[in-house]
Amino acid sequence: MVGWSGRRKTLTILMFIAPTLLGILVFSIYPLVLNTFISLTNRGKFRPNPDCSSPIWNIVEPTCWLGEPPKGLAEPYAFNDPILKNYTDLLGGLFTGAALVAVARLVLILLPLWIAWYVNRRLDRQLTRPVSSGLIWLAGLVGAVLLGWLINAPAAYSALLKSGDFIMVNVRTVLYVLVCMPLFFVTGLVLALILHNQNLRGVPFFRVVLIIPWAASTVAIMMTLIWQFFFRQQGTINQLIGSALNNYRPVTFLNSAGWAFAIVVLVNLWYTYGFFMVTLLGGLQSIPLDMYEAAEVDGANWWKQLTSITLPLLRPVAMPVIVLSSLTTYKIDAIVWALTQGGPIAGAGTPGATEFVMVHAYKQIFQTQAFGRMGAFAVILFIALFAATLYSLRLTQITKGATE
Amino acid sequence: MNRPPALGAKILMYAILVTMSLIALYPIWFAILASGRSGGRLYTLNLPGMFIPTEWTWENYQTLLNNTPFLTWLKNSLMVASLTSVFSVSLGTTGAFAFSRFKFRGREAGLILFLAIQAFPGILALVPIAQILSALGLYRSHWGLIMAYMAGQLVFATWMLKGYFDTIPIDLEESAMIDGCGPVQSFIHVALPLARPQLAVTALFGFMAGWGEFFLANILIPAPDAKKTVMVGMYQMAAEVNIPWGRFAAGAVMVIMPIVLIFLWLQRYLESGLTVGGVKG
Repeated sequence: MVGWSGRRKTLTILMFIAPTLLGILVFSIYPLVLNTFISLTNRGKFRPNPDCSSPIWNIVEPTCWLGEPPKGLAEPYAFNDPILKNYTDLLGGLFTGAALVAVARLVLILLPLWIAWYVNRRLDRQLTRPVSSGLIWLAGLVGAVLLGWLINAPAAYSALLKSGDFIMVNVRTVLYVLVCMPLFFVTGLVLALILHNQNLRGVPFFRVVLIIPWAASTVAIMMTLIWQFFFRQQGTINQLIGSALNNYRPVTFLNSAGWAFAIVVLVNLWYTYGFFMVTLLGGLQSIPLDMYEAAEVDGANWWKQLTSITLPLLRPVAMPVIVLSSLTTYKIDAIVWALTQGGPIAGAGTPGATEFVMVHAYKQIFQTQAFGRMGAFAVILFIALFAATLYSLRLTQITKGATE
Repeated sequence: MNRPPALGAKILMYAILVTMSLIALYPIWFAILASGRSGGRLYTLNLPGMFIPTEWTWENYQTLLNNTPFLTWLKNSLMVASLTSVFSVSLGTTGAFAFSRFKFRGREAGLILFLAIQAFPGILALVPIAQILSALGLYRSHWGLIMAYMAGQLVFATWMLKGYFDTIPIDLEESAMIDGCGPVQSFIHVALPLARPQLAVTALFGFMAGWGEFFLANILIPAPDAKKTVMVGMYQMAAEVNIPWGRFAAGAVMVIMPIVLIFLWLQRYLESGLTVGGVKG
């Protein structure tokens, strides 16, 4: 009975937690603190060294702790004036009139979809539905597209892109995630539905073959280097098209902004559909079969069964998968790096067409070496990602039980 | 849905499955083909050679193993990845046990903190980590790289192991307690043996994360060649001016194949972990 309760309990808990907590403090939390500190300073290529004579630096800066601190000809770095300068530099462009108008216009496009969602929710409460939910969603979608055309969404989008590099890469990354998710989901769902069919032979074999790309995603940087061969001038794709068409002039796909974006989507689809397929297959297997039998007695056809039984019941599984995958896709790095390195660029000094958030951060650390600004970059993204993670956990209840 | 599908539907389903399987396999198959092609040529200019082996030589494998530091890179990667995995699991297990079994003040805050750290991508921590490492004299050393990987892996391991301890029924430990076991004994003799499969899976995740990581390794160990990990070394081989493509493909095959095979072998266990890993990304 020693140590389960009472005074000894605290000691036991401490003893268990100490190694883990110490490790996390040293390896994870201290870098975060140091990063936040650097984000308030003008540290950079020309002011790399700390001023160890000042007390704050002495506490925070590891270079001040041991032996001789590094000294250079340059002045030591100092706090910015105003202290949040790095943050306003990054986000400032968003709070100008033109950018805010652009954001408002883009948000306005979502209005029909919101109306569709609202109408659907109202109709769900009624006993008999006058219109099916799919039709309302379709109407909402058509409305959104029409509205987007009316208020000239592409113009609003490019106006937003002009309000600073940080906002540009973030908006582009969000667009990328929005393009990817439906593709991932539909591909995963189609394959899961096929593999769920018990009357099909060879399902176990195909299941293993089809998750190979997902397995390869653990070495994404190497695998993607192989991938980019296909899109070169003499690559497989050009050779295939060339053998089918006469007078075909090979395209260097990765040098064109539109193609490069599409290719990054497709290659990521190759890595990710397996994850969707496997998890959605798990969800399908949990749907009781007698529901379909009842539906068949009622004369519901395949499509009706899919939209009124499968998809609604798949929701608890699909939502976490989509949310988690959105976060991962937002942080895409190795795939882009191996394919395009963020290029192709439209002009010197501007982010390339596939320069998503993480790639941008990596390039900035290398090129401008504005460590202070990169610190602020990290803090802003950290807050955003943490908020998104917390929200997604509430949404998906993945930690239900874990944090209780 | 469990009715036998019509013939047309069946043909369509098989067509989709076969097409997707070919797409899934082609990149790896292409790497194997290219690794057996002599000289620096990546492509044959005849189309069939892109799909079926029209020639085969072991030359690329031989040069890669004998004339380049490939084996050293492999050794470095193996070392960094396995130590990361061993350290993160051994430091994480006790904490995971405590978070799963005890109620104490700050427990929830701790769990949220874990999530917060997992939300923070490694690349963004590069600046402070590089700085700490150079202050400690660990810049350009494998130990420094292991430390950097620990930043993400330790939290991940703790989170995953906690989730597993939660699923182990507490009854066993309660009966151990009645027999007079303290928390330490019941941890060592009851919980730990039961958690062995998850310990192995978590360790494997730590290993795969270290094995495939590129960005931190590229910045924290920029030189010399003999200290690089295999991902960085191979990436730089692919960036050379006169790229020995066949050699590169041979290396890629040797790096990718083992991890794919391990994954397929243990897929059942790994899948559940990867869903948790999705939080980490």
